[in-house]
Parts: sequence; structure tokens; C-alpha cells
Amino acid sequence: MGRHDRYDAIIAGAGHNGLTTACYLAKAGLKVLVVEKNDWIGGAAVSRSLHPGWTYSNCSYVCSLLRREIVRDLELPRFGLQVIPYEGGATFTPDGDYFAYYSDHDALRREIARHEPRDVDAYERFSQTVMRQCRFIRPFLLRTAPDPVRMRPRDVSELAYLVRKVHGLGAREIGETLRFWTMSIGDFLDEHFENDLIKAHLAGSGIIGTGLGVYSPGSAYVLLHHYMGDVDGTIGAWGFARGGMGSISRALGLAFEEAGGTIVTGSGIDKFLTKGGKVTGVALENGDTYEAPVVASNMDVKRTFLEHTDRDDLPGDFLRAVERFKIRGSSGKLNIALDRMPEFPAAPAGAPFLRGDMHCSTSLAELERAYDDWKDGRWSQSPYFDMLIPSQIDPTIAPPGSHMMTVFVQYAPYDLEVDGVRDAANWTEERRRAFADCVLDKMSIACPDIKERVQHVEIRSPLEIENEVGLTEGNIFQGELTFDQLLFNRPVPGYADYRSPIRGLYLVGSSAHPGGGVMAAPGANAAREILIDLGRRSGLPAEAA
Amino acid sequence: MEQFDAIVIGAGHNGLTAAAVLAGKGKKVLVLERSTSLGGMMATGMLNGVQLPRLAHLLYNLNPAVVRDLGLKLDAKPMPTVALSEDGRHVVMKGAEARFADGTAHPDAAAFATLYQRLVRFGTLLGQLAQAAPPDLSGSLSLAQAGELGALARLGLRLRLMGKAEMREFLRIVLSNAQDLILDELADGPLAGALAADAVRGAWAGPSAPGTVFSLIYRLAQGGGAALPAGGMVAVISAFAKAAEVRGATIRTGAAVQRIVIEGDRVTGVELADGTRVSAATVLSTAGAAQSMMLAGHESYDIEAVRRLRNFRTKGTAAKVNLVLSGAPEFNGLSREQASGRLLIAPSVRAVERAFNPVKYGEITQMPIIEAVVPTLTAPDASGKHVVSAVVQYVPYAPDGGWTGTARQIVIDQVVGALDRFAPGLAGMVTASELLTPGDIESETGAPGGHWHHGEMSFDQLMSVRPANGLAHYGFGPAGLYLAGAAAHPGGDVTGAPGRNAALKALKEMAA
Amino acid sequence: MKDTRHDLPPEHIPLGLIPTPFQPRLELLSRTKDWMNWAGYISPAVLDTMEFEYFAIRNQATLFDISPMHKYRISGPEALAMLNRLVTRDVRKLAPGRVAYVMWCDEDGMVIDDGTLFRLSETEFRLCCQEPQFSWLLDAAWGYDAQIEDESHNVAGLSLQGPTSASVLRGAGFEIDTLRPFDLAEVEPGLVISRTGFTGDLGYELWISPDRALALWDRLWDAGQIWGIRAIGYHALNMARIEAGFIAAGVEFQPIHHTLRLHRGRTPLELGFAWLVDFDKGHFNGRRALAAHAKRGPRSMIVKLDIGGFKPAADALIYHRKKREVGHVTSAMWSPTLKRNIALAEIRAPFGTDRTSDLWVEIYLNQEGVWQRRMARATVLSQPFFRNPRARATPPAAF
Repeated sequence: MGRHDRYDAIIAGAGHNGLTTACYLAKAGLKVLVVEKNDWIGGAAVSRSLHPGWTYSNCSYVCSLLRREIVRDLELPRFGLQVIPYEGGATFTPDGDYFAYYSDHDALRREIARHEPRDVDAYERFSQTVMRQCRFIRPFLLRTAPDPVRMRPRDVSELAYLVRKVHGLGAREIGETLRFWTMSIGDFLDEHFENDLIKAHLAGSGIIGTGLGVYSPGSAYVLLHHYMGDVDGTIGAWGFARGGMGSISRALGLAFEEAGGTIVTGSGIDKFLTKGGKVTGVALENGDTYEAPVVASNMDVKRTFLEHTDRDDLPGDFLRAVERFKIRGSSGKLNIALDRMPEFPAAPAGAPFLRGDMHCSTSLAELERAYDDWKDGRWSQSPYFDMLIPSQIDPTIAPPGSHMMTVFVQYAPYDLEVDGVRDAANWTEERRRAFADCVLDKMSIACPDIKERVQHVEIRSPLEIENEVGLTEGNIFQGELTFDQLLFNRPVPGYADYRSPIRGLYLVGSSAHPGGGVMAAPGANAAREILIDLGRRSGLPAEAA
Repeated sequence: MEQFDAIVIGAGHNGLTAAAVLAGKGKKVLVLERSTSLGGMMATGMLNGVQLPRLAHLLYNLNPAVVRDLGLKLDAKPMPTVALSEDGRHVVMKGAEARFADGTAHPDAAAFATLYQRLVRFGTLLGQLAQAAPPDLSGSLSLAQAGELGALARLGLRLRLMGKAEMREFLRIVLSNAQDLILDELADGPLAGALAADAVRGAWAGPSAPGTVFSLIYRLAQGGGAALPAGGMVAVISAFAKAAEVRGATIRTGAAVQRIVIEGDRVTGVELADGTRVSAATVLSTAGAAQSMMLAGHESYDIEAVRRLRNFRTKGTAAKVNLVLSGAPEFNGLSREQASGRLLIAPSVRAVERAFNPVKYGEITQMPIIEAVVPTLTAPDASGKHVVSAVVQYVPYAPDGGWTGTARQIVIDQVVGALDRFAPGLAGMVTASELLTPGDIESETGAPGGHWHHGEMSFDQLMSVRPANGLAHYGFGPAGLYLAGAAAHPGGDVTGAPGRNAALKALKEMAA
Repeated sequence: MKDTRHDLPPEHIPLGLIPTPFQPRLELLSRTKDWMNWAGYISPAVLDTMEFEYFAIRNQATLFDISPMHKYRISGPEALAMLNRLVTRDVRKLAPGRVAYVMWCDEDGMVIDDGTLFRLSETEFRLCCQEPQFSWLLDAAWGYDAQIEDESHNVAGLSLQGPTSASVLRGAGFEIDTLRPFDLAEVEPGLVISRTGFTGDLGYELWISPDRALALWDRLWDAGQIWGIRAIGYHALNMARIEAGFIAAGVEFQPIHHTLRLHRGRTPLELGFAWLVDFDKGHFNGRRALAAHAKRGPRSMIVKLDIGGFKPAADALIYHRKKREVGHVTSAMWSPTLKRNIALAEIRAPFGTDRTSDLWVEIYLNQEGVWQRRMARATVLSQPFFRNPRARATPPAAF
């Protein structure tokens, strides 16, 4: 048995959302326990050292979505959190050119004009449209989605809030919003731009982490999901967490412990314990059990209810809905230790865009074909990747003069098809290496000496991400961000308020509204709902009916 | 100069519906059709001396309000849908009932029935929305908009009356993709493939694209059953034409409109290709959205509107292959009644998706998805010959290398080859064949891009933003001009709804 | 699909601010080294002393580098038709050799930008404006037989303003006596002079290719010595602009293409430019929306205010009867020429239009670390603050 056998609340999983819920509950005076299967905390927001001297952000690698309200409420900077915005980015072409995205607006205009003068103002139109959508959506991130079917008083008031916000857009903008939310990023970009390279550079945000292609309707929303964050109020900006993404989790963990919380690592949940339709605690894999009237699961909705809950406790249609929840592995990751900075022959000396996100996909057709491969159970033969070298800015993650590189790769299927059979077990060591080679080969478009620079590489297929972090199929958002799984549909219609059919059992991870990314909004929203049920206050928005 | 109350451009079913509705209210109406025959996509064709449906070959989704208003009496025979299977275990669907062609039970029959009935219920519900202008987005709740918003409120209410579980299901799936919806319920195979093929017919989309569930529901708005009209599609179009003419409308064929005349931001009439002018203060165009804008002159539109209409996606992906056979085809494992049904070659949902991939890059698919009908099995041709009418997907508008004779033959051979696998010997019976690519369909019917619905029926091009934000209420720029074809709400298929709704809108404004 | 292949290594774009063709001279003249970013160019905020630069506008002659302005060449048989659909005025009334102040709106009748339209010939126009418009003009030209060329970087512009500006030009050897206000002439091959400006005073703008820019500067500079010529920065020009009652994009109105909150857009009617809108000329962009706006009446109005007291009312809120907040000041200054405390302001209807009495401006001022709040009476004026017959005299006087 653990030190305590009874708590006011238990959080299953020490991902950033679980820790966020834990912090809010502990600050509200509850006695809270966090249990974590790994020997470390952080879930997919971790910094780990797998090669002596280097620190990898193994999974998530850049920060923008983390809600500033939460950072301030939990005083995370006091616990070491520092987010530094990065500058621009680039897409390199096989013929030795590049398109650079500069944070300097005038330089960006010149660079767009270098490729296509007609696209310069078009870019302004594009970014205004996206910014308008960001302004519209941001207030909803820290609110609970109303249930349009049940229409309890709080649903009515939240729906009224939504209607007011929509009405405030005006007729024209409502039409544009309807279109934006339902169209594909490819069509959206085609409506704005002439130049294929510029389109390809901007399209990545529409597919990262999803099982959609650039021409799949709904992918424009995914782009919005990547633009709606900010760094210090600059909407759409992304930054590095000093010390890697684990420093977010570390700060949350320290804040939690200062508020009196307890974290137990090294053993995962075996089962959520219930009695008479109510949660009573958790049983861990190591045999320990803890009791609490409130249990919050940071695991995704499938794992929570299909693997760790007694099916008899759940209504059939709820189970059915959980089973059909779409949570598709579509991405992989390489984390690389470099002996020194690779050469980027196309880039001018000191180019700021080398400190940003870099890519080598040069057309929407190339991106769409990458998606076609994935649909057929292959990793993309010419993959899209988002590669960064944060050690240029963050001195703490690689030995001086050496560098750490993070490469997010799309698409990689969870169930790899080999000889007509789709199975995650097909991800053998050999195929993992082949996958990495495919990515490294394409990276040489940007930096031809990349293979000579590699000291160590951590290869992560969707299978590894699932096994280590516990994300089903390695899906980084704990569930596809399509409309059938957003807002009041997320994760299950009728259960979008973080509650579940089992009284006292809550869902606090990214499977819940507003979805994935290191946002902490699901965790905070869930904390608000838990505290409402306990008759307490969280201080978060949309608390009252 | 000749003078009319209203001029309708195009004598397709929407144009004729609009004319009938207007004439029914005592308006003096002129219908102008550039082709020498009526019907647009429903026109009849001749191949090797045999009459056949040149493009559209089946009737479904006809709007009941249109049938009522026009007093249409159509003799149409509901026909089964047959999903052909490589292993010979063809699946026959009659409404929500699915069984193997030999009469044995299909393992997914119950799941299929539940899913199909639910989709039909949702379709009936959405069908209500098709009978009125789409909801107006402007914030002020003026009396004029109360009707449109009322329709939305009624939809909400009906949804509510279906019960909470159904309402939740509707809100979950309405924007989602057909592949997930189907494969959540059915094993992948010909039955699932048939549903997937219906979800994407005519679309620039595969079943994995979000929004394809809506297309499927839309197709099922009037119960879903496809029917072969007695006398062919030409009988249907004649019924539409008759409805217009008995109400006093004048129909002229071979009369191409060159431009819509605008004076002082008002329509005053049209000018024909030969230069003659006909005057009318109201003009309804059933041409494509951008085409209608060009007829009126782009300078009469705001720059944003022109941009939106240029961006309106009209990438046609469905081609038509017509074959004349020397004798009746014999389909393995199908009775004659079954063989005279709607035959689908769509082996699985995945196969439909895979067939879509190449068209995105201007390539011709290797394994097309086919909807084929042998109408001569139902209504034999006097010559004793038979025809196969096949809708083929996905076929690019402009393949790399262009539509050379070889490229055309590849598509025809694919269709013949695919059919021959199920009806051995069919290939040897082909005496004549023709392919109408999306480009051919465009030049023949005026449908932009050869798109069957005059524009993609994806959610960002539907309802209050079809064909464009700010132009979704039939009123189309200058006063007195209306868009009345499939580019307007609710969209394509032989529904008659855009024509009727546009005419009602025009009547309202003529009275004001 | 555009081919992006290059045989040579890519030509990298410059980072940071770039020089205009006149920067070598401005660099030498700048004592303050107080530079601004104007459309990515280095542009002087102040070169020496703002007050002296301002007085040079109203007393002598001044040179201000307007090269960063966006300039577009619109040409072709249907250039006129295309422009007439773009702007709210009737361009058919603009004769070759004339310049017009124009506005253009989006589909909802909200102002995109304002600028000056030069009719260079029957089929050639130049549009000068503050905001980049290339993509918009391309969209506007779709379907017309008209070409759009962005000549922003290919044409250097110099604004010569002040009572002795005509004398400077004469001294430099240019024939400008017959130029009336809003006339333009190609006085020498490749050099266009228009009698236009942003000061409300006598003044000219000169347009030339960048490689001849410095020679032109030197020629004017030399001729201007006896006429008190002075180079100026933006702040001095802005004072003259406010005195003239001219509105500025981003100040008196928010260009709608750069506005996130779309209801913050304004119609020409709300900016006091109903006379610029010709509803009878045929369709133009936003016409239907503007007609509806005209029916409903303006939501607000840009007005000129004469304010009591001596403290400029920058960023002040405006109240009716000292109680109800009805608007805000957009630009304000103490006018050294008029000796009046003036401002441009946006006031919500019906205040400022039908109800103009009893308006008060709330001014905060900090005197040596102590903040005070003062309410000053504001009077709405119908005429420009600064008017001087010398600005319109043709031929212009010597000073």
C-alpha cells in the first residue's frame, strides 16, 4: 500500500492535462494523488536524456497552445517555465532554393515576392482570415461545450454565449466561418495563393497529427488548431520551452507538490474501482489500491473505458461510441543528437529561419500523395516533416557546439501493411530503421551532411509513442480533430462535459474538448467541472450557470 | 421587341420547373434553351441507331413539392440495386433490405437495415430544408427572414422529436465521412462499397473525406430508391416541359443567350446569339454560377463575389460510357429481374477511396467505380439490341497528356472489361461505344467542369454559402436576376428544387 | 503549378529596413537619426527639429521622400472601366493629365484605402496609396482587358510643399505655371510633376525613375537654397496634414482588409466623403451595400473639432454634456499657424451629425509627474482648419 490509502481525488496519468487538473484541485484544498505508469512524469510533454549530454523533447516539441490563463493561475514561471518564441521557418527545395518564413513582416513580404509577387497581399488576406478565426475560437477553449440535446440551464447559457459570439461576427463573416470550418486546407490555400511552394509551406499546419490529407475537408480547422495559440499574446507564434517540453510538466509537478499534492510514479492503472455506479478509487498494476470519491483519467477515452473500466459499469451505447471514437496513428518522430550544426547550403549565413521550423515538401500534390500512402498502410514514401534545432536557442539541451534536432514526421500508420496484412506488429526494428532512413534521405535536401552529423537517433513509430506514452495508436491529439469529434461531440455525444456514466469518474485528457496539443485546457476545464460538482470554485472562466 | 414577365435560361428540369411555377402564377414566361433538345443532362442520345440515356439514366430524389406544384405524373419503376461481387456473391438491395442474389441472408443485413433507415430518416428531415431558401446569415431577425429561420427551427424541432439518441447521432455524423460511418457498422465488401459509391457519386471526393455522409443523406432525401422511368428520362423531361407549357410558358430551343442585359443595376432582358433582344424585368438562369455571372457581365458583381464564383469548385469526376450490345448480356448469378436493376461495381469502401486517388493528380484510375443500367432489359429496343448506360468514376477533367483517342479507349475498355468479368461474353457483343468525359459533358450541357451538380456538394459550398457567401438566396447580383440551377441551394440531382425555390423568390420580389 | 527551379543559387532577400533612392541625401541631412519604418523602407520621423520642419512647410519649401508609397500602373483598353468599377467616383470624368482623390470599398461598402489616381493618358493610370493593393487590383482587373503593374519600387517620389515650392521649381528650370491643382504633366521625359500633396498648401509631387532620383534631389536642393528649402520628416508633415483636415489610413479609419473586427470598418459616407460616391455611374464595388448604408444613415462621422484650452487632445474620449461617451479623437494638435487647438474625431451618430452642441473632450495631461484631467469644450467645424488662397492660385505666386 502507498503512503496514503485515501484521497479526495486521484488523477490517473501525469500528462500535462492530468497535472493541470491536479494543480487546480490541490489549490482548491483537496488532497490529491497523481499516479503515473512511467518512472517520470509528463506524458507526451517530456524532456529525456537518451544519449549522454543531450536532452530530447521526445514527443511534443514546441509550445504555443498552452493557455496563458493557466500559466498565470498556476504560477508556472515560478517553477521554472520559460517559453522563448522562435523565428520563422523555411521549406527547402530539391534544386537548392528555399521559401523562408520571416517573423520580420517586411522581409516576409520581400521573400514572398521573390517567389510570386501576386502572393504578397494574398498572404495578408490569408493571415487576416486565420486571425479572425483565432479571435473567434479562443474564448471557447476554456469553456465547456454546451450540450445542444440536453439543454440544462448551463447548456442554455453556454449556447447563448456561442450564439452571441457568432452573431457578433456579422452575416458576411458567419458565411466565411462556415466555409473555413468545413473546407480543406488545400482548397483554402488554392483560393489565396498561386505559388505551390508557398502553399506547401503553409499547408503543414493543416495535417500535423491528423489522419487527414491537405485536400480533406476539415483540415483548415486543423490549421486553426495550430494557429490559435500564442506566445505572450502574439497569436499564432510558437516557442521552445527552455529545457525541452518536459519543463512544462516539471513546472506543473512542482506547482502541484507545493500545493500539497502527491505523485506516485512507476505503476500504471490496472482498474478504476466502482461501487453502485460510483467511482471509489483505483487499483494499480503493482497491486496498490487508493480510494477517492473523485477519479480523473488523463488517459484517452478508449484506454480509460475499454481497458481500465469494468464494461458492466457502462451503458452499451456509450461503449459503442467509445469503440468507434477515431484515434488514428498518423505520425512518427526522430530525435537526433548532432555533433555540430549541419550545413544548410541554400541558406544565407546567419539566416534566422534556421532557428525555426523547416520542411522539405514543396507542393500540395506531394503532401496529398504522402497521405495516399498512409491510407494504404504505408509510411509516406516522400514524407512531410517539421524539423527544428532548438539547441540554437536553448543552451541547456546539448553540449556546447553540439545540437539537438527534433523531426516530426507525417505520415506513418500505426497498423503497417505488409503483404496485405495491416498490423502494428509489422513495425519491426528493421522497418523502423528503414522509416528513419527514408526521412533522413529526404532531409538531405536541406542539409546534405545530415547523416554524418548524427550521433544518436531515437526513432519513434506510432507504436513506440503508444507504448511509452499510452496514447492509443500514438495519436498525438488523443483523437482525430474532425467535426464528429469536436465540441459537443468530443469525445462522446452527451459526455462532452468531462463527466462519464460513472459518477465521480472524469476525463481530463485531450480526448475531451477542446482537444490535443500542449494546451492544458481540457485539464483545466475538467478541474472546473469537478469543483462545480464538489460545490467549490476554480476561478476559471464560465464557472457559473 | 418581344416582352415577357420572366425569361428562364436553360430548359433542364430546373429551368422548366421554374417556368412552370412562374407561369402557374400567371406570369408570361419564356424558356430559352441553346441546345436543340430539352432536358440538359436528362436528354436522350442515339448510338448506332439505338436510343439511350445520354447522361442521367435514373430517377431519384425528385422533390415532392415540385411533383405537387407541377402536378407531375411519372410512371417510374423502382429498381433494386445490385452490388456485384468478384466471388459471385452479389448483394441485392431493395430499400433497407439487403440479401445475396441467391436469396440467402447477408450477414450484415440487420446492421445495413438500421443504418440505411436512419440515413433515410435524416434525409427526409434534411429534405425539408431543400424546399426553401437556405437560412439567411444576417443577424437582424427581420420578418422577411423569419420564414427561413423558421425552417431551421422546424428542423431542430423535428430532430428533437426523433429522440435524444437520434438527435445526437445526427449531430455527430452530419459532417463526418462515409467511410467511418459505413465501416463502423458493416464489414468492408460490396455492400459497404455500394453505399460508399452512392456517397461520392459525381463528387471530387473519396469516401474518407469529411462531408460525404451529408452527400449520402442528401441522395436519400426522398427515400433513396432509384427508379427507371417508363419511356426513359425523356419521358420525365417531357412531363416537366408539359407542366410548363400547359401553364402558358413558351419554350424555345436552339436559342442561345449571349448576354443578360443590365441597365442601372437592373435586369431588362436578354440578348440572343443572333443579336435579337427579348425584354423582361426578371431573368432566371440555370447555367452554372460563374457562367451566369459572365452572362450578366462580371462588372455587375463585386470583386469579392467574382473571386468567390471563380473559386467555386466544379471539378467533374464522373464520365459516362454508353455501349450498344448485339444481344442481351447474361450476368452470372443474377436473375433477369436483378440484372435489369442498378448494377454497382464498387468492391469495397477502400476500393472506392483508391479509385479516387489518381484523379487528384490528373491521372486515370485503374479500377473505376461503375454504376451501370441495362434499360433495354426492362424496355426492349425494337432492334433487339441492348444498351449499357454506365456512370464511371473517377475520370479526370483534363488528364495529363489530354483526352487522346488512346486515353478514351482505355476508359471504355476498363468499363467493358469490368462488366465482362460479371457478364462473360459481353465484351464480344459490343457493337458501338461512346465516352463522355467531364469535358464533353461540359461542352454538351454547359455544366461547369462537367460536374453533375454544377459544383461540388461539399459542406463549404452548401446551404447559406451555395454558390457563394452573399449570393445564396437565388438573387444573383443585379436586381431581377436569379440563379435557378443546381449551383443554387439545395444543389444537384433531378430534384427541381433550385428551380422552384428560385421562382418562388422571384415571384415574391415581382409582387413587391 | 509554377516551376520554382533555379539554375543559380537563390538570390536572398535583404533583411531589415531598406533605403529609398533618396536615402543617401537624407542620411547626410539627418541630425536626429530618428528613422521610421514606412513599408519596409527607412523613412525619417524627424531630420532635425520637428517645429522648424513644420514651419518650413507653411513658410518656405520642403522636401519629403514619398518613394515608399505604393504605386500601381493600370493600363489597357479597359483600364478606365476596371477603375470605374473599383473606386466610388466616376473616373470617366477624370481627363488625361488630371489627378483625382479616390476611395475604394469592399463589397460591404467599407473603405479599403484612399489614394490619388493619376490619369496619364486615355488608357494609362497610376494609383498611389498607403496600403499595398497589388492582389486586390489583380482581382479587380479579372475579366477586363487591363494590366496591373506594381511600380512601387520602380518609381521614386518626392513631395515638394510650401509657399515657395513653385519658385523652387521655376528656379530648377521646370515649366509649371500652367499646372492647376490636381493637374499633372510630364515636364521632362520620364519626370512627371503633379500639383498634389498632403499639406493643404501650395505644393507638388515629382515622380521619376530611381536611378535619376538623386540628380533630381540635387537640382531642387540647389535651386531651393534661396527659397529656404528644407528636408522634413513624417511628424512635421503629419501636422500639416491635420491642419488641412485630411484623413489618414489607420488613423481616421481602419483599412478594412487589415481589420480583424469587421464592424470597425467605415464607409466613405462615415468619413465625410459622400461627395466622392457616385451612385448613378453604374455598378462599382460595394455600391449595393453603400446604397443600403445611405438609406440607414451613418453609424458615426469623422468631424473637425475646435477645442477649448491650449492642450492638444490626443487620444481623448469625447462626451456629450460631459456625461455620455460619444466618440474619440483620432488626430489632435495645437496649430502653430492657426493658433487654435484642433482635432479630427470620430463621433457616433447622431452626435457630430445632427447633435453637435454640448460636446466635451476629456484631456489628460501630465505636468512634471502629476496627472490632471480636464474637460474642454469642442465645437464641430464644417470647413477645413487651414485654407490659403495661395494653395489654389494659378499661376502660383512666388511665395
